[in-house]
Amino acid sequence: MTTQALGADKKARSARWALRRRFAAWAPVAVLALLCVIIALINPNFLSAGNFVRIAQAAMIPLVLGLGATFVILMGSIDLSVEGVLSLSAVILSLLVLNGANSNDFGPLAILPVLLVGAAVGFVNGVVHVGLKTPSFMTTLGTWFIGVGVANALLGGTAVRINDPFIRGLAIERFLGLPWGVWLALACLAVAFVIQNNTRLGRYVYALGGGEELAALSGIPVARVRVLTFTLAGVFYAIGGILAAAQLGLGNSLIGNGRLFSTITAVVVGGTALSGGEGSVLQTLVGVLIVAVLNNGMVLADVPPSYQIGVQGLMIIAAVALSIDRNVMRIVK
Amino acid sequence: MRHKLTVNPLALNLRRRDLLKGAGALGVAAALPAVISRPARAAGQPTLVNSIRSLSNPYHATWNKGGAAFAKSVGADYVTLVTEGNSEKGIADIKAILAKTGGNCCINVDPNDSPDARPIVEACKAAGAYVVTQWNKPADLHPWDFNPNYVAHISFSGVPYGKAMAETLFKAMGGKGGVVALGGIESNVPAIERKKGLDQALAANPNVKLLDYQVANWDANTALEKTNAWLTKFGDQIGGIWAANDDMALAAVEALRAGGSAGKVPVTGIDGIKLAVESILKKEMVGTVAWDPYWQGGMGLSIAYHAKTGGFDPTTQPKDHREFYGKGVIITADNAQAFYDSNIKAEPKIDWNDIWGRVNGQIRY
Repeated sequence: MTTQALGADKKARSARWALRRRFAAWAPVAVLALLCVIIALINPNFLSAGNFVRIAQAAMIPLVLGLGATFVILMGSIDLSVEGVLSLSAVILSLLVLNGANSNDFGPLAILPVLLVGAAVGFVNGVVHVGLKTPSFMTTLGTWFIGVGVANALLGGTAVRINDPFIRGLAIERFLGLPWGVWLALACLAVAFVIQNNTRLGRYVYALGGGEELAALSGIPVARVRVLTFTLAGVFYAIGGILAAAQLGLGNSLIGNGRLFSTITAVVVGGTALSGGEGSVLQTLVGVLIVAVLNNGMVLADVPPSYQIGVQGLMIIAAVALSIDRNVMRIVK
Repeated sequence: MRHKLTVNPLALNLRRRDLLKGAGALGVAAALPAVISRPARAAGQPTLVNSIRSLSNPYHATWNKGGAAFAKSVGADYVTLVTEGNSEKGIADIKAILAKTGGNCCINVDPNDSPDARPIVEACKAAGAYVVTQWNKPADLHPWDFNPNYVAHISFSGVPYGKAMAETLFKAMGGKGGVVALGGIESNVPAIERKKGLDQALAANPNVKLLDYQVANWDANTALEKTNAWLTKFGDQIGGIWAANDDMALAAVEALRAGGSAGKVPVTGIDGIKLAVESILKKEMVGTVAWDPYWQGGMGLSIAYHAKTGGFDPTTQPKDHREFYGKGVIITADNAQAFYDSNIKAEPKIDWNDIWGRVNGQIRY
């Protein structure tokens, strides 16, 4: 074979590879579209405007949580503190705004301390993880329990009703047909998109996920990026806590139950790799929509309750299997 | 030139081991001791002991308050044992208190799991202490086989209350229309019993149609999702929502509120938590059932105490006093305000000497 032929062969192979990678990135979108078509065929109500709003409502909290988790997962770490931060934020918010348990009435001002608490927990995650070199898995497992524990200690197992019209308005009042909470979640998506693409932090996160040794050698402040990313994630979880409290109209330490797995599922189903460096916040949006549409669709399509969890499991495997690029993977654990 | 690298090794290849460590950490946390006791002992009086799961849920926290109130009413020492969901810890703590008091105690226990009841009862019999069990015990373990120490077992049947709530709901709907129902975890006995009650009420009311039944795992978030999907699927056909507990019922109310129909579609729950009673007062829910853990915590002790101190002889009591269903309190718009004032705003007032007042028939297995 001549060198020219070798070169041509290489070019063709890399073109094929690029095509396959592009397909992998769009696979979740195809899954989402297919899912929508199937459900709409079984039950045309799926396509009604009212249902569109309901899916948006169901997706707003997982989206905000997923945005925070996306950055951490892109970096190659994992964050299990989602439910801890969410419950703690919701409980603190419920105790600061007009509520059924005490005489506080700080209104929208209460959001600021809640965001600070979220940032603080995320900051602790980052500092402990980097400073003590504890794996992110264990560090955030610890803060998860601490968050739920503090929420529990604040309320002693009871629930507090939220009467604040501003907070409740996030779930109830609408603008252009969608609840304000959905707009807030979309604003978070825009902010996350800008952070991902247009800030140094966003680019560094990809660099760390792609190969940390290389990133460190090229002068990226690895420790600072890690701490900042966990802090950012904490803020997103706190916003998720505010939305959850607004949606259920109450705060209690169980409000985060089940949110961790749905968050990580949405991120991974969207095509973001758990190994880091691959994925984006837009893919998380797609992943969140897949999960929300599936949950909504299983009821619409009369899937018996006993089978729903199994269908969900099949969906996860199918979406992930379609979106990973097996060519770049030597070892799978 | 030599560079010194300070790079964290990626945490990825550690994950499986981390998971095991995580499981270990959970185990340690679950085994933390949580015995709360007061050392002083009143002369001659038996020590009164409540053994429950934890103090961080409102149900058992209220149970504990009831126990303390009864102990105060007879001037006896009161001890709370907490299993934290660990059967071995629960049994070991009871054996420790039997040894400490020399058997001079009355124990009211909500066993962590059904099989735990047997070793607990056997240990009490051996030590000469008096014991009442609640909710969990094996079907073939009977108080009359351990006379006189195993005084009674109390439980609550979900069937009549699931049925009562369904009837309350149908009444609010004017006796006809479509209902949707939110159930608890499929394999849970209370979930099965409450649904059975719903089915009985549906069979008796042919004008009411069950549009759909979904399992929402006792969980508010899941209930919200299911209710939202129903609003799409059935829209105005939904005349009422039956939920197997209050958390799910309150979430259904919020789903209705987001669609602008809270208060227009009646909703029922079960458990009688504070927020649900408030919701009935606001006309957004139409019913719930209170199990009254305050009564359970105090009356279980009172029954054992009266048997121990000669108030009655357990061996001559009929079987429906030894193994009985207690009575739940059905709360609707008619009595919600009165219930709220006497049970939630104020400390409940219970006649601890009326020990068979809430007997609601012998337990059937």
